[in-house]
Amino acid sequence: MTKKMKIRIAEIIILLIALLVVPLFVKNNYYLLVFNRILINAIVVLGLNFITGLTGQMNLGMAGIFALGAYASALITRYANISPWVGLLLAIAVGWVIGQCLGYPSLRVKGVYLSLTTIGFAEVIRLMFSNLTDITGGTQGMRNIEPYSLFGFKFDTQGKMYYLFFVITAFGFFIAWRIVYSKWGRVFKSLRDNAEAVEMSGVDIADVKIKAFTICAIYGAVAGALYAHFMGYINPSTFTIDMSTNFVIMLLIGGLGSVIGNIFGAIIVTILPEMLRFLDDYYLITFSIIVLLGAIFFPNGWVDAVVRLGKKTINIISDKRAENGKAVSR
Amino acid sequence: MSSILKASNVTKKFKGLVAVDDLDFDMKDNTIHSLIGPNGAGKTTTVNLITGVHDLTSGSVEFDGKIISGLPTYKIARSGIGRTFQNIKIFSSMTVLENIMVGGHEQAKLGLVRGVFDFKASKAEEKKLREKAEEILNKIGMYELKDKLMKNLPYGRQKISEIGRAMMNDPILILLDEPAAGLNPSERAELIQVITKTHREGFSYFLIEHNMDVVMNISDYITVLNFGRKIAEGTPKEVQNNEEVIKAYLGNKYVTKKKVSGEV
Ligand SMILES: Nc1ncnc2c1ncn2[C@@H]1O[C@H](COP(=O)(O)OP(=O)(O)OP(=O)(O)O)[C@@H](O)[C@H]1O
Ligand SMILES: [Mg+2]
Repeated sequence: MTKKMKIRIAEIIILLIALLVVPLFVKNNYYLLVFNRILINAIVVLGLNFITGLTGQMNLGMAGIFALGAYASALITRYANISPWVGLLLAIAVGWVIGQCLGYPSLRVKGVYLSLTTIGFAEVIRLMFSNLTDITGGTQGMRNIEPYSLFGFKFDTQGKMYYLFFVITAFGFFIAWRIVYSKWGRVFKSLRDNAEAVEMSGVDIADVKIKAFTICAIYGAVAGALYAHFMGYINPSTFTIDMSTNFVIMLLIGGLGSVIGNIFGAIIVTILPEMLRFLDDYYLITFSIIVLLGAIFFPNGWVDAVVRLGKKTINIISDKRAENGKAVSR
Repeated sequence: MSSILKASNVTKKFKGLVAVDDLDFDMKDNTIHSLIGPNGAGKTTTVNLITGVHDLTSGSVEFDGKIISGLPTYKIARSGIGRTFQNIKIFSSMTVLENIMVGGHEQAKLGLVRGVFDFKASKAEEKKLREKAEEILNKIGMYELKDKLMKNLPYGRQKISEIGRAMMNDPILILLDEPAAGLNPSERAELIQVITKTHREGFSYFLIEHNMDVVMNISDYITVLNFGRKIAEGTPKEVQNNEEVIKAYLGNKYVTKKKVSGEV
């Protein structure tokens, strides 16, 4: 194992422990709710990373995928009267299907046109759920969606849900990590730089792109399902382009391609607006300005910027030490 | 000698323009076969036809005894053809080693799901791939650069790295589209060394090149194109003294001045 990998793994372990003890100290329900949202958002960003981060295709339709997962799980739990876990499995299946379907146009449509296609897709999904009033309750939304339970243990408080979502997010993180830092992650990334050269290496790029889209959609749909049973209430007006944009912002702030960055992006973008709430009417514009400045000054994401800064300070300190050392030896 | 790459009546029309016109050639195994011709003669188009980037308007291409025209690019690549590009195509945000390793993606057979959960197999496979890439980097004299980002390399190195990437897939034939263009003399010398050395180790090369030093020195056989048509073929010597070729390159007036030796 390289030194870099060791440092990375150490980072992850510290992060995991810190996250695990959170509910012990935080008794405030509101904070826990924010943490749960972070975990759910993190799952989406981990998935989005495969498309927009690695293969470099702008996906502004994540809210549509998220909504499909949420409604699939909520609807089957309600009408078939079965466990939300079955809903989760259904969400995975739905994600797989969307991935195959959305992946296909991505083979033909590129750049801005693909962004528009994904936006269109998400809008169609949203309108569909708004208009299927008989089944989904339309714009009234669906209420009283059952929480998860395991062997009679109900995950019905924010604290209990935190642990559940934590485990699921950690698992999602593990899978994403393994894929991103494997030959698959490498080939996804190479696709962003030059698809023709990848194809000339004997890679069926259509297949690889669809794989990336499928991973992305499964993550999005799973997160959507968790969201439905976490909120207990879903409404089509939640799943707008704003939501999709927010996911992309999380990805950008965390840094494209970086799995740890995905998590930090989700944390920062979920918490920041909450912290800015005291600004009332101005919070949204302040948030937007911060994001914009971040995009200009830290184009590789905030995490990368912090790491660079850290490295620089360490270098400066060690340089100074070396100088001092020289001075002394003279 | 057996034939490795054979084009029969290959024609490509872009709308009204005939880019490649009824082209025939027969490249022998274990040779360096060059395709030369003035700008716009149809050389790159020929390579794009061989590799399935463009569909043929008519004719066929045979590689290693099998018809490959009509197959998608990735299948042609898998059948044993590697390629470099005239307009460099690299993964600039990745390291040199990663660039080469992408070339071997298909050599590693582990599926996506198994790769996630089977730590041992994926690690072993990755190691094998990395070692192979390092060996190739050694071969092309770029081992020391392996951890550098590709975009930070000089142009010449980037171009040579494409040959390495192509080698990862164990091709028997590599198509080089103007590998020396844009290289300085020392890089060019290095390129020639890489080509001749790896050729001795068993790679066959189909070479497109404007630089006549390179072409005349290392080719076994040359096909000359002009306006999409084959105007001559033969050994470097034969081609150098061919009237049609001199006419195509230098214009009519030079033909009467008897032989032009050396540079064409
Ligand atoms: N995709 C395309 N669509 C339309 N015309 C094309 C296309 N590709 C090439 N051509 C035309 O076909 C002709 C041959 O081009 P090609 O690139 O094969 O020439 P070349 O011999 O490689 O030239 P050079 O030495 O400049 O690289 C040119 O007239 C070119 O404009
Ligand atoms: Mg060309």
